[in-house]
Amino acid sequence: MPNAAYKLEMRGICKQFDQNVVLKGVDFCVRPGEIHALIGENGAGKSTLMNILGGVLPADAGEIRLDGQPVRFAAPADSLSAGVAFIHQELNLVNDLAIYENMFIGRELKKGWRLDAAEMCRRSREVFERIGLDIDPRRMVRELDASYKQIVEIARALLQNASVIIMDEPTTSLTEVEIARVFDMMRTLSAQGVSIVFISHKLKEVLTVCDCYTVLRDGQMVAHGDTRGATTEQLAYFMVGHEVSARRALEKRKFGRVVLEAKDVGCEPWFRHISFSVRAGEVLGFTGLLGDGRSELFQVLFGALGRCEGVVEVEGEPVRIPSTTRALELGIGYVPRNRKENGIVKDLSILENGSLVTLGRFRRGPLLDRAAIAGAFEKQKAGLHIKMGRASDLITSLSGGNQQKVVLAKWLTAGPKVLIFDNPTQGVDVGAKEEIYDIILRLADEGVAIVILSSEAQEIIRLCDRALVMYHGAIAGELQRSQMSETVMMHMATSGEPAAV
Amino acid sequence: MSEKKGRNVGRAFVRQWQSNPLFSTGMALLVLVVLQTIAMGFDFASFGEWLSSFLRNWLNILLNNSYVGMIALGMTFVIISGGIDLAVGSTLVAVGAMVMVLVNEQATGLLTGLGITGAPAVVIGVVAGLALGLLLGEMNGVLVTKGRVPPFIVTLGTMKIFRSVTQYFMQSQPGITLPDGFKQIARAVRAPVLNSMLLPILYWLVLAIVLHVVSRYTAFGRYVYAVGSNERTTRLSGINVDRVKRRVYALMGVIVAVASIVQIARIGSMDYASAGSGYEMDAIAAVIIGGTSMSGGRGSIAGTLIGTLIIAVMNNLLTLVGVDPFLREAFKGAIVVAAVLMQRKENAN
Repeated sequence: MPNAAYKLEMRGICKQFDQNVVLKGVDFCVRPGEIHALIGENGAGKSTLMNILGGVLPADAGEIRLDGQPVRFAAPADSLSAGVAFIHQELNLVNDLAIYENMFIGRELKKGWRLDAAEMCRRSREVFERIGLDIDPRRMVRELDASYKQIVEIARALLQNASVIIMDEPTTSLTEVEIARVFDMMRTLSAQGVSIVFISHKLKEVLTVCDCYTVLRDGQMVAHGDTRGATTEQLAYFMVGHEVSARRALEKRKFGRVVLEAKDVGCEPWFRHISFSVRAGEVLGFTGLLGDGRSELFQVLFGALGRCEGVVEVEGEPVRIPSTTRALELGIGYVPRNRKENGIVKDLSILENGSLVTLGRFRRGPLLDRAAIAGAFEKQKAGLHIKMGRASDLITSLSGGNQQKVVLAKWLTAGPKVLIFDNPTQGVDVGAKEEIYDIILRLADEGVAIVILSSEAQEIIRLCDRALVMYHGAIAGELQRSQMSETVMMHMATSGEPAAV
Repeated sequence: MSEKKGRNVGRAFVRQWQSNPLFSTGMALLVLVVLQTIAMGFDFASFGEWLSSFLRNWLNILLNNSYVGMIALGMTFVIISGGIDLAVGSTLVAVGAMVMVLVNEQATGLLTGLGITGAPAVVIGVVAGLALGLLLGEMNGVLVTKGRVPPFIVTLGTMKIFRSVTQYFMQSQPGITLPDGFKQIARAVRAPVLNSMLLPILYWLVLAIVLHVVSRYTAFGRYVYAVGSNERTTRLSGINVDRVKRRVYALMGVIVAVASIVQIARIGSMDYASAGSGYEMDAIAAVIIGGTSMSGGRGSIAGTLIGTLIIAVMNNLLTLVGVDPFLREAFKGAIVVAAVLMQRKENAN
């Protein structure tokens, strides 16, 4: 008997790609007006399950019921017309059109042969009112920040009468303030009876905003329940299947000489009057809200963005860094944010991605010394525990965490003196995250100066010996290890004032 | 038993077809060659006769396509790097004109006027030609990298400039006679039986092998793929992306210069208004049919070689079966589109 109490029921869903069994009879049920977290490590089958629900992939076995009625989705359009909207991580908006044009794209309203802009705006406003959003639908999407773009996508789903909205890691590129805004929106929708499936790696967010959770591991549902009373440790345990190590012990460590120092550097419009130094073996954190200028600061210091005013010194020598090639020569490494755009080359193999930085150093005459390259990569692969097939497979065959490790490998073979990590664990699952933290700390122990850029306070607290908080392109204050707490950092990052500690 | 085996072979064939783009283009070429064989009246009774006309026909095909073939090899690098070079035909004319003025045997010839003749004149002419090709290619590269102008626009501009300036300078040039020593660049080695020129084909083949090795086994070659696939990541990996791109266009220029020198050595003259025009499109077509991605990052020299041959054999086939010459371009266009459609299907699998 179908259970009418459920808005959405997925029963016994199976899916297999070639020999690879991704889903082994998964059950997943959502009640009306429920915010339901779907969590699991990368490769656990979350995306496949949701792609089946969104009509992107067909299921091999199992059934889907909406409001108790069996349904069959052969294409994304089918599931959309049944009221299931999938909001992907990469937003699906046209930046150069106005909000209302995006809301009605493909289904424009017309008056005779002309577009009826007034009516489209009116209807957009109606939806906005329903979710308590005050924004002019004639504004260009380009002008909106990431959270509002997300909300516009949700509004578009509502306009199409969606009653189940799937959100795939919606908070990845949002700042704390923006995240709060999206969460408010989700709660409003839930109160109006819309069911939301929230896919995320961030367990704290799951506990904050969700009513229930379902955990997938290796294609099976391993746990589900109420978030009330659940803890992040518990959820992490379900995801990984074993205990996640606690935060690093507070130990006093010795640092070497200053490796990288900036004296009053500035580059309009991103940042100004920045001074800091980082020593060998030290882990220095930079945190703040997204758009605070820290990412640009280090792109400039890495020679990837342009010139800056002020003095930059490497091991006490003033240097100019006009290009990334120069930065590499000086021993500066940079593991960028947004792995897909900045970290990997999708058409090259795992081996080539993992040796891109040092490729030119391994030569035998005019040709590449392929044995030496493979040897160097093999060494890193062992140290980083990269799980992979053959080294000649494409990089895209790996999971997010392993791709990130390959990006790390390419810098480690170069043996940098200072290594900058911009959002090192973005889109990486809990298990791989811990491994990456271990690698970073091990590097520091080996005497590499480390700079961590991150919006996640937990990450900074976990890793850094010292942290600088940025606010609108300037340093708002410095925190020693003993002074770090989420509240203090959040206060400094949002107000720009050093907190009273 | 044998039926089962046959089915396995069939399955392996399909898998190869789907996973290896070279395999499917190679198969297409094979089919064309079989058709061509039939069109040439293959018959056991007159096998010897057929064979000699078949070989002569093939040597002709290879000879006539060696210039575009060479240019297509360079174009493969340009397109894999994410660029395009429309100026190849005009570069060919510019280099050819300069070399001819230099080595001209008559009193008006530049080197002859300076009293340099014979082998030294030929060497100077060739080296100067290659240098001009390098320079013109480098010019494209600098405009693309330093000027941040899209390659399509840059080379559309230089395409016009190179040819027009060449024509301007050459309008008042009196007749040109090329020395025999120079002509030997293309004519020296001949096929023993058929008395056909072999050197242009040989240059093409050697160039293909060298560039294949460069593309797969040198740092520069791999950087070209990396730049074309993801320029940002490549730059953030400490690689001098601009230098890689400049070298790609410079290499293209040198390859065009080689093609130009071989062409004038073979023909002995050059029509500055029409020589090399359309080469850019033929080269691009060969590259695309060979499976190289127009958006960069993917492709191969071997594919381009097959792509060039597909166009060449098809042209030949159309002549053999008596299709109107005016329709040939339509067929060429159709296979470009068909090839890309086929590759789309493969990617979707």
